[in-house]
Amino acid sequence: MASSIPHIESLVYACVPLARTDESLKNELVAHCQDILKSHIGHTTEMNYSQLVDVIKRRLLQLSPNGASASKFSNLVMRLVDQPVLTKKQEAVQFLSTLSTLNTHQSASITMPGLPRPSSGRPVAPTTHVEPSAGDWETTLSNAARLAEFRAQRGVALLNESLLVRDTLYLMQGISGKYVRFAISQASEKTLVFTSDSKAAISPSTQALVHRLAELGYLYSRIDAFVRERENAPGVGMIEQSLCHYLQTQLTEYYRLIAVLETQLSSTRSSTNRIPDISKEETGMSLRRLDVWVNEWRLRMRMMSVCVEGARDSHGGALVNLIHSYTDNGDPFVRKFTHELLEEVSRPFFATLHKWLFSGELYDPFEEFFVTADSSLGHIPYVHPSSLPGGINQLSGDPNSGLFNQDGEDISGLHESGQKLWETKYRFRKDMLPFCMDSDWVATREKMSNTSGSLSYGDIAGLEKSIDAAYQLASHRLFEVFIDKFKLLDHLSALKNFLLLGHGDFADQLMETLAPSLTRPANTLYRHNLTANLETAIRSSNAQRDSVDVLRRLDARILEYSHGEIGWDVFTLEYKVNAPIDTVLDHEAMEKYLKLFKHLWQMKRIQRALDKGWMRVTGDARSFIHLPGQYPYLSSCKSAELCHAELEPEWHKIRIVMTEMIHFIRQLEAYCRLEVIECSWKVLIDFLNKKEGDLDALIDAHRTYLDRTIKKVHLWHSKPGKEEVLLRQLLEIFGHILQFREATVRTIYESVSTQLTARQDNFYNYCLSRSALKDQAMDAERGVYTGAPQDAGAESEDALSGVLDRVREFGAAFSDRVQTLVHHLQVHPDLDCRFLGIRLSFSDYYRVKKEQQAGQKS
Amino acid sequence: MPREIITLQLGQCGNQVGSVFWQRLCAEHGINQQGILEEWATNGGDRKDVFFYQADDELYVPRSILIDLEPRVINNILTSPYSRLYNPENIFVSKDGGGAGNNWAQGYVAGERIYEEVMDMIEREAESSDSLEAFVAVHSIAGGTGSGLGSFILERLNDRFPKKIIQTYSVFPNTQEGDVVVQPYNSMLTLKRLVNHADSVVVLDNSALARIAADRLHVQTPSFDQTNQLVSTVMAASTQTLRYPSYMNNDLVGMLASLIPTPRCHFLMASYTPFSSGEIDKAKTIRRTTVLDVMRRLLQPKNRMALTVSSPASCYISNLNIIMGDVDPGDIHQALLRIRDRNLATFVPWGPASLQVASARKSPYVTTSHKVSGLMLANHTSIASLFRRMLDQYDKLRKRNAFMEMYKKEKMFEDSLEEFDNARATCDDLMQEYKACESPDYINYHDPAH
Repeated sequence: MASSIPHIESLVYACVPLARTDESLKNELVAHCQDILKSHIGHTTEMNYSQLVDVIKRRLLQLSPNGASASKFSNLVMRLVDQPVLTKKQEAVQFLSTLSTLNTHQSASITMPGLPRPSSGRPVAPTTHVEPSAGDWETTLSNAARLAEFRAQRGVALLNESLLVRDTLYLMQGISGKYVRFAISQASEKTLVFTSDSKAAISPSTQALVHRLAELGYLYSRIDAFVRERENAPGVGMIEQSLCHYLQTQLTEYYRLIAVLETQLSSTRSSTNRIPDISKEETGMSLRRLDVWVNEWRLRMRMMSVCVEGARDSHGGALVNLIHSYTDNGDPFVRKFTHELLEEVSRPFFATLHKWLFSGELYDPFEEFFVTADSSLGHIPYVHPSSLPGGINQLSGDPNSGLFNQDGEDISGLHESGQKLWETKYRFRKDMLPFCMDSDWVATREKMSNTSGSLSYGDIAGLEKSIDAAYQLASHRLFEVFIDKFKLLDHLSALKNFLLLGHGDFADQLMETLAPSLTRPANTLYRHNLTANLETAIRSSNAQRDSVDVLRRLDARILEYSHGEIGWDVFTLEYKVNAPIDTVLDHEAMEKYLKLFKHLWQMKRIQRALDKGWMRVTGDARSFIHLPGQYPYLSSCKSAELCHAELEPEWHKIRIVMTEMIHFIRQLEAYCRLEVIECSWKVLIDFLNKKEGDLDALIDAHRTYLDRTIKKVHLWHSKPGKEEVLLRQLLEIFGHILQFREATVRTIYESVSTQLTARQDNFYNYCLSRSALKDQAMDAERGVYTGAPQDAGAESEDALSGVLDRVREFGAAFSDRVQTLVHHLQVHPDLDCRFLGIRLSFSDYYRVKKEQQAGQKS
Repeated sequence: MPREIITLQLGQCGNQVGSVFWQRLCAEHGINQQGILEEWATNGGDRKDVFFYQADDELYVPRSILIDLEPRVINNILTSPYSRLYNPENIFVSKDGGGAGNNWAQGYVAGERIYEEVMDMIEREAESSDSLEAFVAVHSIAGGTGSGLGSFILERLNDRFPKKIIQTYSVFPNTQEGDVVVQPYNSMLTLKRLVNHADSVVVLDNSALARIAADRLHVQTPSFDQTNQLVSTVMAASTQTLRYPSYMNNDLVGMLASLIPTPRCHFLMASYTPFSSGEIDKAKTIRRTTVLDVMRRLLQPKNRMALTVSSPASCYISNLNIIMGDVDPGDIHQALLRIRDRNLATFVPWGPASLQVASARKSPYVTTSHKVSGLMLANHTSIASLFRRMLDQYDKLRKRNAFMEMYKKEKMFEDSLEEFDNARATCDDLMQEYKACESPDYINYHDPAH
């Protein structure tokens, strides 16, 4: 190597003319060159000539995209190859290339830290083909010189940057430096104060730079304060605890950075001391370099600061949500950082979720995620704050596959379904666990736990999957528990049998025993009376075979009544349900059952009234219609017969109307039973028998069953404003039937008023009293005294016409209403209701009648 | 408090049919020949108390009264395996044992003689019932005891129990080949009581039964047993909804109220399908039994148990189908729509009427080869043709005053035969009323102005 020294010397002389006179400079340069030659630079990558040329060409293209210098370069290279003078062409080019690299990457001290630059203050580029003119340098220098001159004139000395760098490092730790301090005056807004010492002036550009760097310090102190505060505060939620933990880790990283920087600073300073003159601007650490070093950290600090800020207002799950909202960021750095943060922060959340999902335990000591009591929702004891459904929903990231989005439900139902799931789950835990601690449940739990190891933010898809799996398992198990353990089916059929009068013999019996008391005013009813009758009805019907558990839930009750109401209006049967079956048979459902009962019970009442009426007007007729002279032993027969013969046409008409009524009520009942209740029931039973699905589906199926039933029984019209029109018509018809019956055959003891004048207020009684009078008259003729003769002539005639008028009026009103109803039903949007129209007018009677009426009018 | 029904088995025919009927009920309710409930028959969801009561020793005893004027049939019952089923106190056999000699008058007069004793039995049964709903009489109207004694008892029941329903299953004679020459007289005289003193009469026409037997069972001359099985099947089926209660039709009153609009028109025709070999010996099997098929077959005149001639104006006054078996409610719905669409049934023009369908459970203890079976009880105006036929035959005899001597022997006909003419007039009235039912003017039927 020593042999090369003269060459180097001549090279140095050629390049730096100054060295010819200055021996020390020459030595230094030569030593430096030797250093370079000895070093491995240039040897690391052994490229062949063409590759090297390519690399350089590419670099030139990068530097000046127009390609002028690149083409010039290739021209030169071509000529170089032809030159016989140089033997080590490749090395020469590589050397030049390396030099140019150094030149262009001014700030690339990181690539070769600790290796001081060649001593020259000027860039060492001009050796090659692109030689900068000396004039350019002169002007630049003169500008700087001018500024220095100006400063010197003002007696202002620039502060040494290395001192500023040190100060800045302090600032970055939130500590005031010697020359730059944090203002103490305002606690909230920290501003920097620069020393206005004339000996150590800081140029505005440097000030701006320091400002930039000091931001880190400000952010740092905020974060640090937050962490410290939380460390000591009691009752800090787990989410915040883990946030603090994460922040602390980050800060430690930050300390490490500072430490590294400080080492750098001190090492350069020591070297500066050795060679103070040349290293003035060339220390390893400058403000700008520092800026580059901490650039990434600034962003990180900002993010952390935002989190800290957020943590002041929100809490628990909401905080996670807040952080999560930053993941939707185009900046990959921010995204990555948030992701890391979330991974850490959401850990307690997922731990809780895991516990909740797989063991059904709700462990949330700081009330961060789930439960708050809401008294406004009496029957749902707990609802969760927005944190859960929203959180889960957002966490899942992909809105199209929401976590609790079962069976491809509409996304809009997500919140609702989340809430429903939550309610169910919560009840599940509350209600079921005490009952479910059986081997089956343990098995189910194991199965559920197997579905996933642990949950974490990073594995949202896995989370979704395991939640789905766990939910399905648990829910299905719940379904089975409801069916097998709580005998839901028994209760459903009990409701159908009792409240929907499926036990016909029971209902008949109950009505039979209750009827006399139900015609009385509501305030004369006593509950013990009702329950006694209920007992009797159960005992004397097939209902006695039902299980004790079902029967003990059955109760007879009086609803609240107002003045003037009678027993029929206020009586109701009741079926008591308690937890846990009231999850399915909730309050709302039971109300619907009661509504249905009221309606069906009324229908039954009408039917019974008509059957009794039929017994009188048609059945009893066999004792009236005998031909005369048949039964000498039956004394009243003759007169009764006579009386009847006179009024036979009226009786006949009454029977025809009554037939119409019986037809109406029986078709209506058959429709309610067959088309509505049984068909809906069948759907429900089919669902239950499949044993597929979960609790949600079960509740839905039951609700559908009930809604369908009530809508069709009430002939509910889908058109708004017309919903209850048909129901009202129906009730009106019921009213007419009862009035009609009252006017024809209602017996005195059944009647509300038991006054004597009531004796002639209906047709049947009128006939009875008429025949009694005739008997008396005949007895008088025969000379037998049976009582004081009464004059019943004109008065009786009046009574008759009055009675008959009423009978006709109610009969006609009934028929008209039914015709209207049938007409409405035939255009009813619901097919089943339309079928009721067909049932009622099976023989087209009402259509023909309508046409005839229309014909008569026109 | 069940709605009890007391069965009266009158005469040879009544007791034979009754005996088969009780065998059938026992089988359906899981009661053995001694009246002991079988161990496996504990949870059938049935009501045994409609037709049975429990004696002190828990045995099930039919609410049945067996009356005959000759001992042969009842003795047969008493030597059968079911002899211990009946309450011996409820069996009345005339002491002289001579029967009624196919003479209505003789039977009727015998009624007066044995009135006290029979009425005692009936009242005892009635009093032991909590809420007696009906008497059901089973008899034939052609012979002597069933018709004559039956008539008498109908009259008395009517007076004694005016508020109870009286229903009869009356076997009408085969008009073509009656084995009793005076059956037109007997029938006419009984028919008058059926019109005036019964609430409902299920007409079981022997000619139709023979035809159904020939058709369905492939026997030209069906045995008595087979005919009796046909009848008892109908009886059992028509009480199915009473014995297996469900939402509707749990009481006889309700069912009759829907079938019988006016008091006289209470003669019901019955159809049953399919007869299985379990019910009838050697019945032809029918493979397909959907609800629609069953309901369609029930509407076919050839399946009716009354031989009638329909005119174009003939129509149903009412119609009740009892569909037994495990039936999908949707099937009934579909069947009703189909039947209406195809116009398979025509109804009276003076009021709304429709095909009523009651679905009833089947006895779980009796296995049948069909999923679904059905019974139709219908009030149809074509029954007038049956009365027409009876009137014609009666008139043929009456014109010649044939066989009158045997009636005149009895006291009630000594002086006059007015009763015969009365009976004929009643029957004629009935026929006219059924005819009138076919017209919309029926509303004003009794109105003298029309």
